[in-house]
Amino acid sequence: MAERNKRNVEAPQGVGRLRVEHEKVVKGCEDQIQHWKNVKGDYEVLEDRLKTLPDKVSYDIMVPFGPLAFMPGKLVHTNEITVLLGDNWFAKCSAKQAQMLVEHRKKHVQSALDDLHKTKKNFEARVGFTEDLEKLSDGKGGYVDIREELEGVVCKGKRRVSLKPHSKPKTEAIVKMEEEEEEEMLNAEGSKRGVLSEEELWARLDELEAQEQQEEELDRRFDSADTNGNDDTTSSSSEEEKDEEGDRPAERSKGGTTMPLNGSQVDRTALPPRDGGKEEQEDDEEDDGLPTIHFSHTVEPKKVRINTGKNTTLKFSEMKEQKQQAKRKKNNGTSNGHSHHGLHITSPTDIYRLFVDVKNGEPVPRKSILKSRSRENSVCSDTSESSAADFEERRTLGRSPSHDDNTYSDTGSAITEEDAPTGELPVPTSRFQAFSGTVVEKEPIPLSVPQLTIAPPALPTIPERKLEEVVPEAPQEAPQEAPKRVSKFKAARLQHKGP
Amino acid sequence: MAEAIQKKLQLELEKYQQMQKDVSKSMSARQKLEAQVTENNIVKEELDLLDTQNTVYKLIGPVLVKQDLEEAKATVAKRLEYINGEIQRYEMLLKDMEKKSEQHREVLSSLQQEYQRAQGRAVGKV
Repeated sequence: MAERNKRNVEAPQGVGRLRVEHEKVVKGCEDQIQHWKNVKGDYEVLEDRLKTLPDKVSYDIMVPFGPLAFMPGKLVHTNEITVLLGDNWFAKCSAKQAQMLVEHRKKHVQSALDDLHKTKKNFEARVGFTEDLEKLSDGKGGYVDIREELEGVVCKGKRRVSLKPHSKPKTEAIVKMEEEEEEEMLNAEGSKRGVLSEEELWARLDELEAQEQQEEELDRRFDSADTNGNDDTTSSSSEEEKDEEGDRPAERSKGGTTMPLNGSQVDRTALPPRDGGKEEQEDDEEDDGLPTIHFSHTVEPKKVRINTGKNTTLKFSEMKEQKQQAKRKKNNGTSNGHSHHGLHITSPTDIYRLFVDVKNGEPVPRKSILKSRSRENSVCSDTSESSAADFEERRTLGRSPSHDDNTYSDTGSAITEEDAPTGELPVPTSRFQAFSGTVVEKEPIPLSVPQLTIAPPALPTIPERKLEEVVPEAPQEAPQEAPKRVSKFKAARLQHKGP
Repeated sequence: MAEAIQKKLQLELEKYQQMQKDVSKSMSARQKLEAQVTENNIVKEELDLLDTQNTVYKLIGPVLVKQDLEEAKATVAKRLEYINGEIQRYEMLLKDMEKKSEQHREVLSSLQQEYQRAQGRAVGKV
């Protein structure tokens, strides 16, 4: 305890001294930069002079005569310049050649200047870090430790096994020193965790990663668009950044939202909270350290509107139980007529099945469920009919060729013209107008059953779906189509032969 | 007993300081060499920019002596090689000195510990 206190006292002194050293370096850099800038200026003046010198054959000048006197004289041989090349070497050259040499030297000066600028920036950043560190150690810098108690986190899915569990990422020596000091300080501040061993820390890291992934996956599933998804990715990416700084175990202990301590990721706090109901509890002062906010997630569900591709929206919450309920609800038909096929979402393919576009009355699978079809269909935006119309138009025009490729490449069975099925289905949605009628929704799966003669099965891009159905279908289809084709050609040949 | 250790400590300390001075001397010599390398590189490049028509002079004392361009280039190249060799030599020297100073440091720290223990014991006894 005495040691800790001693360290506590030493640490801010050390940090202060570090900062002073950093600032010295920065100042040194600035001086050097100034020096090189002067040199550069001189060279530029020289260049100008060299350009004008050969204009006249001889100049009348006042020649310096010793330190105190001048006398009138002439400057002759205006084109002959003796240049000092360095290291006691001279060369006689013309003004133009001298110019070339000057250019060459200016390049060197410029590169030196650039290097200096870079180092200066680096060290300025470091100074920033040490300042933050100082503020932190004082505990008054406006930094708050946010702690979240985790209970019973069920981790779905595989935990990612780190291939090199004990490899530490490379960090600069000075940053490491900062971190060590930080660690000491945090330990000194009497955190509840005690001393975590390395293995525990790595296990904790893995846990957090798994948690992130799980959350990401869930988000992706429900097509939470832009804002939320971005938050997630940015938060997860910045978490990954943090994760990479592996030797900062002090921050890992509580939840994923502990405030980063070295100030490099202060912007994390600017990210909007993911869930609707986060409660902030009291603002504690812990021991002699940072004020702490304890926080816990509430069970308040967040409403997310998701487009299922038929101008309908679903409301989801992010809590698991409610998610499941919602799934069930969705399956039981929040969207008109999507009475199922007894389908529950148990695999990603189910999602693809649901997210189908109705194009010309025929359900065509979407290329990507992540991309919302249009602004109108994205989360939390208002639907405006005119924009919807435009988008529809552009979208269908743009996508029809690509869809063809998709369908043709993936299906094994032969596919006749795409137009054939579209003509046969009732209620073709007009492309260029906002749809304002009733929607009779075709169920994608049953569709495939009655219309075997029509080329594409409902979801040609999901070959693994219902293998037992598709496989028997396919051979059935093939011979049926084969005769059709043959018959057509035959018909053509007969026609040719005939007349 | 404590005094003997103290004397030893002081000796070691002096040796260590000497080592440090040597190290810093080698460092500065090496830095000078580095500067020379850069300078000679610039000279070499500038000589390449010139052609044989220009006369090249070398400053030897107060005298500018005419030199052949090719000769000058060769001389500068040789000088560059020599300087690089010197730099290598100094690097080796520096490494050795670093190692030695490490050893000294360890000896010093162990002696210090001994001394402190002896001191503690002496205080305890008293």
